[in-house]
Amino acid sequence: MTSLSPAVEARDVGTHEGLRVVELYVGPQHPASGHMRLIVYLDGDIIVRVDPDLGWVHRTMEKLAETREYVRIIPLFERMTIIDSCNITLPLVEAYEKLLGVDPPPRAKYLRTILCEINRIASHLYGLGIGGIFLNHSTMYMWAFGDREVFVSLAEMLTGARLTHSYVIPGGVRRDLPQGFRDAFEKAKRYMLKRLKEYDKIFYNNPVIRSRLENVGVLEGKRAVELGVVGPNLRASRVRHDVRMTGYAAYDDLDFEPIVGEYGDSLERIWVRLREIEASLDLIEKALNNLPEGPFIADRFYKLLTPAHKKIVETQKRVKFPALFANLKLPKGEAIGRAEAGRGEITYYVVSDGTDKPYRVRCVSPSFRNAILFIELAPGHRLMDLPAIYASIDYFPPEADR
Amino acid sequence: MVFELLLEKILIPPVLAPLIYPGLGVALATVLIILWLERKLTARVQMRIGPYYVARRLHGAIQLLADGTRFFFQEVIVPARVDVIPFLLAPALALAAIAAAFTVIPGGPGLQGFYTPYSLLVALAALAVSPLLLVLMGWASNNKFAIIGSAREALLNASYEPLLFTTALAMAILYGTLDLNQMVAYQADLGIIGLILNPLAAILFFIAMVAATDRIPFDIVMGEQEIVHGPFTEYTGIGYGLVMALDYIKLYALAMMYSIIFLGGWLPATTPLLAAIVLYVKTFIVMTVAVFLRTVYGRLRLDTALNILWSKLIPLALVSVALSTVVSYTLGW
Repeated sequence: MTSLSPAVEARDVGTHEGLRVVELYVGPQHPASGHMRLIVYLDGDIIVRVDPDLGWVHRTMEKLAETREYVRIIPLFERMTIIDSCNITLPLVEAYEKLLGVDPPPRAKYLRTILCEINRIASHLYGLGIGGIFLNHSTMYMWAFGDREVFVSLAEMLTGARLTHSYVIPGGVRRDLPQGFRDAFEKAKRYMLKRLKEYDKIFYNNPVIRSRLENVGVLEGKRAVELGVVGPNLRASRVRHDVRMTGYAAYDDLDFEPIVGEYGDSLERIWVRLREIEASLDLIEKALNNLPEGPFIADRFYKLLTPAHKKIVETQKRVKFPALFANLKLPKGEAIGRAEAGRGEITYYVVSDGTDKPYRVRCVSPSFRNAILFIELAPGHRLMDLPAIYASIDYFPPEADR
Repeated sequence: MVFELLLEKILIPPVLAPLIYPGLGVALATVLIILWLERKLTARVQMRIGPYYVARRLHGAIQLLADGTRFFFQEVIVPARVDVIPFLLAPALALAAIAAAFTVIPGGPGLQGFYTPYSLLVALAALAVSPLLLVLMGWASNNKFAIIGSAREALLNASYEPLLFTTALAMAILYGTLDLNQMVAYQADLGIIGLILNPLAAILFFIAMVAATDRIPFDIVMGEQEIVHGPFTEYTGIGYGLVMALDYIKLYALAMMYSIIFLGGWLPATTPLLAAIVLYVKTFIVMTVAVFLRTVYGRLRLDTALNILWSKLIPLALVSVALSTVVSYTLGW
């Protein structure tokens, strides 16, 4: 014990860039950080610098995609954010469709929109729950995770799977709207609107929570654009940008209007998420009311099915693909797909060389683009503000690491 | 024969009070019950079930006993770079400091370890020693998280102790005594409890109690999300079990003092056994309210907490002293 040099003792502060600072390793097994490490340099209680150390759950998804058939890539990329899986895979499939020259039928577009919004609500509730526990507000954590179950069940009703739905396929969706879904959604909406009021009471308007979040991590709109921040974090800084405004899927017909904040502090970022849950509920209702009749799979693929499989589509309202579909070949070319996932804009760039496997799939995920906020927002704040900032930017390590 | 002799030796207040009631025995049992109740109540608010699988018929009531047993038989790891003697001694000393308070806190009329006219002061002083040992734990641990936790404890301690002592002073002025037994006697004579005589001091003492025992929203020292477990980060096995129980035992001691000072102690009961039960029930209710705060609030930031304590609550505590003076003058003491 005494033989060790004093310099290695944790009690001694080191020096870093000429400052007398403590180097604190938050993560990768720290209770607050989850699969990532933040290297925090502290001068007293003030954060001087934060180095996010990403990549602890890197799964080489882009490289794996080059070795798989196109349809099999969909469930692969779904693993990036299983809590938001429809939003994450939709732009990939839309990129395929651009290459194939297929336009999905309107009913399929509406069904995609419905699942996307259900996923968004579930994803925001997850973020709020994690945000709650970061501030040691365990009630918000449990409530958000409990209420998320309502929307996970709705998604299960629609797709048959709780999390990894693999619902969106080239040319349409896997299943039609099940009977009783509208009633189930009406019930869920009524419940959620009631709960949102309670969230406001116990979390958003809680004086302790407000004192933690207000004026912490203020992000100017101009700076947010410079940094390439996306999603609710960008909109909280009074930037009216949402990929849904470009009108992919059925958003064109639904008069979509993004939620935009004013001030851009941590509280505002939480507020945007809370209000987006309401907006998503309205969008789903609108989509259900305007849902067009018709097929839910493009005619071009329907024609390929065997008579037995066609019968399944007619009677059971679901697509059962022949093995042939796995060997789907995309024409030579390249395409880009964009969508607004729960945490922000996700972009896919697909390059096809005419075979059944892509030459390259590039994916830029929203959490990766938002990770820069740790470097930008934390310095100058106190150590206790770091969890508040983390909570407000809703960072999801598996999504950033891919 | 020997057994009877032993019983005779034990069943006298100087032994009974510190060791059994209100002292360590009941304190440890209360920790087990209050932790279970806290988890059950929180679970109810949060749409969960809470502890359940250990003794299902009792709804998991002995969950904490099971956890404690596990702590007992877990390996105690002493990291290579800690200062071994303070590291191992500090938790035991902290418990001893808190237990020392039980020698003067009366668990019923005359049921205390030794009589002193300054029992309020002695009890508060004994409880005020434990934070110093918490700081020692963090320092001895030689871990960055532990040291940050210790620094937080030191800062917070310097802020809630004045509040605790000032509100206690307010009540001492009101009753004109520093003896906890006498305080109950005055409340009995007057027929009004301290909570009504000086509600401001009652609220402030409660807040100081919550801060002193590291309950939410003042659970800054063990800020799990920033500094793992504060000063206790390096503790394992029985040491961990002990440091986890410290705050609850302290809460029990302070809640009992709160019941005596503000809630009329063992009133309306007068016979010893009934008095002990009434006081215990009051203490338990105060503890339940204190732990229930965690379902409503999150954690305050350190500087906000210090700001609230120094710039709002301590001036208010001085107001409560003035209020006490006015009340005691009006009552003609």
